[in-house]
This record gives sequence, C-alpha cells and structure tokens, in this order.
Amino acid sequence: MSILWRVLARHRRAVILAIVLLAAFLLMTAQVRHDRAVVSLVRQAILFTVSPFIKLTAVTVGSVSHVWHNYVDLRDLRQENLRLQREAALLQRRIDQLEEQVLETQRLQGLLAMRDAWRAEFVAARVVGKDATNWFKTILIDRGSRAGMRRNLPVVAPDGLVGRIVEVTPSTAKVQLITDPVSAAGALMQRTRVTGIVIGNLGAGLRVRYLPLLADVVVGDEVVTSGMGGVFPKGIPVGRVITVERKSGALFQEAVLQPKVDLGRLEEVVILMNSEPRQGFETGSRQQP
Amino acid sequence: MKLFVLGLLACASAQAALLGPISVGDVRPDLFLLLLFFLSPRVSPEVATFQGFVIGLCQDALSGGPLGLRAFTYTFLGFVTAWLSHDLYTEKPLAQFWLLLAGAAGAGVLTFALLTFFVGFLPLLPALGVIVPEAVYTAVVGFLLLRLPQVRATLVRAT
Repeated sequence: MSILWRVLARHRRAVILAIVLLAAFLLMTAQVRHDRAVVSLVRQAILFTVSPFIKLTAVTVGSVSHVWHNYVDLRDLRQENLRLQREAALLQRRIDQLEEQVLETQRLQGLLAMRDAWRAEFVAARVVGKDATNWFKTILIDRGSRAGMRRNLPVVAPDGLVGRIVEVTPSTAKVQLITDPVSAAGALMQRTRVTGIVIGNLGAGLRVRYLPLLADVVVGDEVVTSGMGGVFPKGIPVGRVITVERKSGALFQEAVLQPKVDLGRLEEVVILMNSEPRQGFETGSRQQP
Repeated sequence: MKLFVLGLLACASAQAALLGPISVGDVRPDLFLLLLFFLSPRVSPEVATFQGFVIGLCQDALSGGPLGLRAFTYTFLGFVTAWLSHDLYTEKPLAQFWLLLAGAAGAGVLTFALLTFFVGFLPLLPALGVIVPEAVYTAVVGFLLLRLPQVRATLVRAT
C-alpha cells in the first residue's frame, strides 16, 4: 500500500491530470448514454450563476452603445453652432428613437400577426446571449422556467423557424438554433409535399436530407416544417432551396437551404407554448393530399 | 483565485453578449482559451489542470455542445501550458503569435477529435472551416492583448 502511495506521490501531476480528464470524459459519456440528470444539474447551476452577468452585460453594452453613438454624432460640430448643434442633436436623437420605435413596432407587428395564424399561446423573449463556441449554434433568451419555459418548446420569429429550447433556468433559457449541427426537424417541400429531414450544417446554413431521388425538387422551392417528430408544429417556414445535390449511386437527393430567418441578427423571438396551426404559416400553400 | 473568478465571469459575459459586433463571418475569438493561456503560466500544472477544467465546464454550459467537451480540452491544454510555460516563454511578437495560433489550433483539433469520438457526425473539411478561422482570430486577439502593458507585466512576473 505504501509503495502505491509513494508511486502516486511521485507522479502526482500525471495522476491529477488523469483524474480530471477522466471526470470530463465521464461527463461526456453520461450525455451520450442519455443519463442527463447530473449533467443537467451541473449545466443549470453554471447557467444560473453566469446568466445574470450576461444579462447585465447585454443591458450595459446597449446603454453604452447608445451614449457612444450620441457622442460620435456630436463630436465634430463646431463651438459657434452650439445652439444649432444642440437642436440638431435633439432632433436627431428623436429621429433615431422614432426610427428605432418604427423598427421595433414592425418586428412586434410581425410577432402579433402570428396570433392570427396560430391557435397558440406564445411568449415573446429577447435574445441576451449567443453560443460561447463556434462549433454549436445556440442563443440565450431572457425568459426561463418562471415564464413557463421548458425543454423542446418551439421558438420562432416572424419570418419562420428559429429552433427549440434545450436548457432552462429560472430566468433564462437556451435555444438550439435550426442551424446547429445536431439539430434536426421534419421538413416538407411546400410545392410538391415531399418530406425530408432538415439538419444544421456545420459552419452555416441548412440541409434537407432523405429526399426521394426522383422527387421534384428545384432551386427556389420553399421548405416548411412537416410536423413529424412532435416538437415543431406543421407549416412553419424553414428556408428556400438554393442548391439541389444528386450524387450518382445515392439513394436520396439533398438540398441546401437558405434559412428564412436571419439567425445572426435575432433580437426578439417567440416561444410557442402549445401550438396548433389554424391556417398555417404557409403562404399560398397547397392542401396536403 | 480572485483573478481567476473575475476573469471567468468577464469572459463568460463577453463571449456570450459582447462579441457579436466583432464576429467575422459568424466566427468569434475564443476568450475562454485566451484566459486559460494567460492564467496557466501563473500557477503550477496541478492548479492549471483544475482551472482548465472549470473554464471548459463554464464554456460548455454556455454552448450547445456536450458538457465536458471543452472541459477535457482545456484541462489538457491548461496542464501543458503551465508545464511548458518556462520553456516556451518568449518576448518575440511573431513567436508569441505562432504559439497562440498553435495552441488555439490544438484546442480545435482536440475538440474535433472528441466530437468525432462521441457524436461521430463531423466531416473534416467543414470542421477545418471552424478550427482554422477560430484559431487565427483567437491568436490575433491574444496577440493584441499581449501588447497591453498590464498583461505583459503579469506574464513576465509569472514566468
């Protein structure tokens, strides 16, 4: 026994490294084996601790950015035109505020329009953070379990599908975007009603897989959610086909999509609490045979 | 310890909420990795191992990846950085840049290997499209941060 301790003491560094690496390895293994309880607890504890700082930073940056822009607007004006400068600056600020209000109103009108299309309860949320790596595509929103958020709720924007909630803390939730490489959703070609699976593409963009080889798929086709899988309701716009790939010898064809929503510039999103399409998001859609 | 906690909170906030405007083609520098590179030379390899684990765990919690992915990578890198800091320390700007680039690329390759092992979904070419831009951007930002006198003084004291 004492020999073992002596050996361990002599190789203390290597032993500590091995133990910590093993801990990280076991954490990953636990997720692969779908043993999510401990992992979810650790993840939520960290998110709970860090998310207030992220929200505070987002608010502070917004305020500082506003002040900075005002400073930049004002700095070049001459002293003798001070009165005019103040007046112009005031007017400019007013215009900026109004323009910002118009843009916000347009965005909110888009969100409200969804009320007509969906028999759904929904909650609006602001985006307060983005994924901490370049490997995955997630965002952090400012609504959590206190606002009724839970795993797998679909998240949309006025233009279409955004993703689904994957982690929840009392005040925030993490949303996996449809462009995340491990994201998948049932897809339906709006024109021809051919189904496939839309998955995230590492880097950027979307890809529809498992489209029958002889199916009629052309550039410009609109793709919506098929409703299969039970997470996303049917008929939410996903993207437009920009490339069709038919490889020789393959059993299926694939299509590369341009997402409907500009996921890099999301500011507000809507979470569908219990959704069911009334007329569907689809514009000019055919009835399914 | 205080520096570590403050640095970690600052990195978490900045990485999640601040870097959007300076992202190039959706690629952002990895501030957590830079924090690890800057802190590890100050401590023993044992402490750097734990620091790497906690930094990686925090980044994992803030990302969509499996918990433990970056924790594993940064545990290893923290240990190696602390272990080799005396041998690799240099004042030459170009050498500093290449070291940062090598470290960031190493982190990317290790992450790719782990993802392939656990998830098995990643093709190589698109993965390189993530690893290389992230490594270059991280190295550039790290290089610029090293030009700040306070950071330089801290690293000189540490090594």
